Amino acid sequence: MRRVFHEGTTIEDLKAYMGPFAERLGYKFNTETEFVDEVLESELQVLDRDGDVYCPCRVRTGDPKEDLKIVCPCIPFFRDEFAAMRKCWCGLFIRQDVEDGAELIGVIEQPEPGTAVAVPVCLLADLPSGTARHVKVGKNDIAVVRVGDEVYALSNVCRHAFAPLAEGFVDGHIIACPWHGWRYDVRDGTTDHPNADVRTFPATVRDGEVLVTVPLGRAR
Amino acid sequence: MKIHLYALSTCPYCRMTKRYLDEHGITYEITEVDLLDGDEKQAAVDEVKRLSGGTSFPVLVADNEVIVGFNKSKMAAVLGL
Repeated sequence: MRRVFHEGTTIEDLKAYMGPFAERLGYKFNTETEFVDEVLESELQVLDRDGDVYCPCRVRTGDPKEDLKIVCPCIPFFRDEFAAMRKCWCGLFIRQDVEDGAELIGVIEQPEPGTAVAVPVCLLADLPSGTARHVKVGKNDIAVVRVGDEVYALSNVCRHAFAPLAEGFVDGHIIACPWHGWRYDVRDGTTDHPNADVRTFPATVRDGEVLVTVPLGRAR
Repeated sequence: MKIHLYALSTCPYCRMTKRYLDEHGITYEITEVDLLDGDEKQAAVDEVKRLSGGTSFPVLVADNEVIVGFNKSKMAAVLGL
């Protein structure tokens, strides 16, 4: 059993332990408190039996690396799917913008692979004009850049020496790589260097949040 | 109609599915996969993967239909409730 847990760990202990992680990831406990208690009660059974808070609705494969992905909260491993579903698999956690979690309890529905999903990545207020920041959406490392009231998203990886572009210098619609100054247009990812353009992603602002649209990876 | 429910003893949605089936007087076989051991468990996990493409529960099999998760409307349609 991990040291954070102990014999006699309670539902309230789990809430206190997981709540802050979920919040950092943009999620909160479902508003249906009875459902939350039922899921956490099940997790306590699993903790008691298997030594960690594995998802009570999925089976462990026995491969420790795979099993780590189903330790609750599993949000980081399925961020793009959950952003589309507005909840985690079971609905224990819901996105912070969901007011009534009751409707999200039930079916485990996952979006089709390849579906484009707008994923909230940061608050517009946290991204001053003329700056960039690195965000990770699913498997994509993305630099989000703000120019005035517009936001843009492009691959965070410079094609030259793989530097993190978000640490570079923003000048109008150009972001210059922090290592050797390769210049990319944030609107379309183009650069002066041959065959070195980077991928861009649609980016928008809704209710003060920056959303980046990515295609979902394979279903799990 | 032959109905088989693959479930985990720890899974709230599996409990909801059982409750739903019981309330509607449906007769079904059940495999509680996490209560099995060794080869038997592996065989059940493999079967669930084959049927559903994943390892999320519950998985309800009614003749040729496979329903993953607690999906009331789909169960009602498939079971004619």
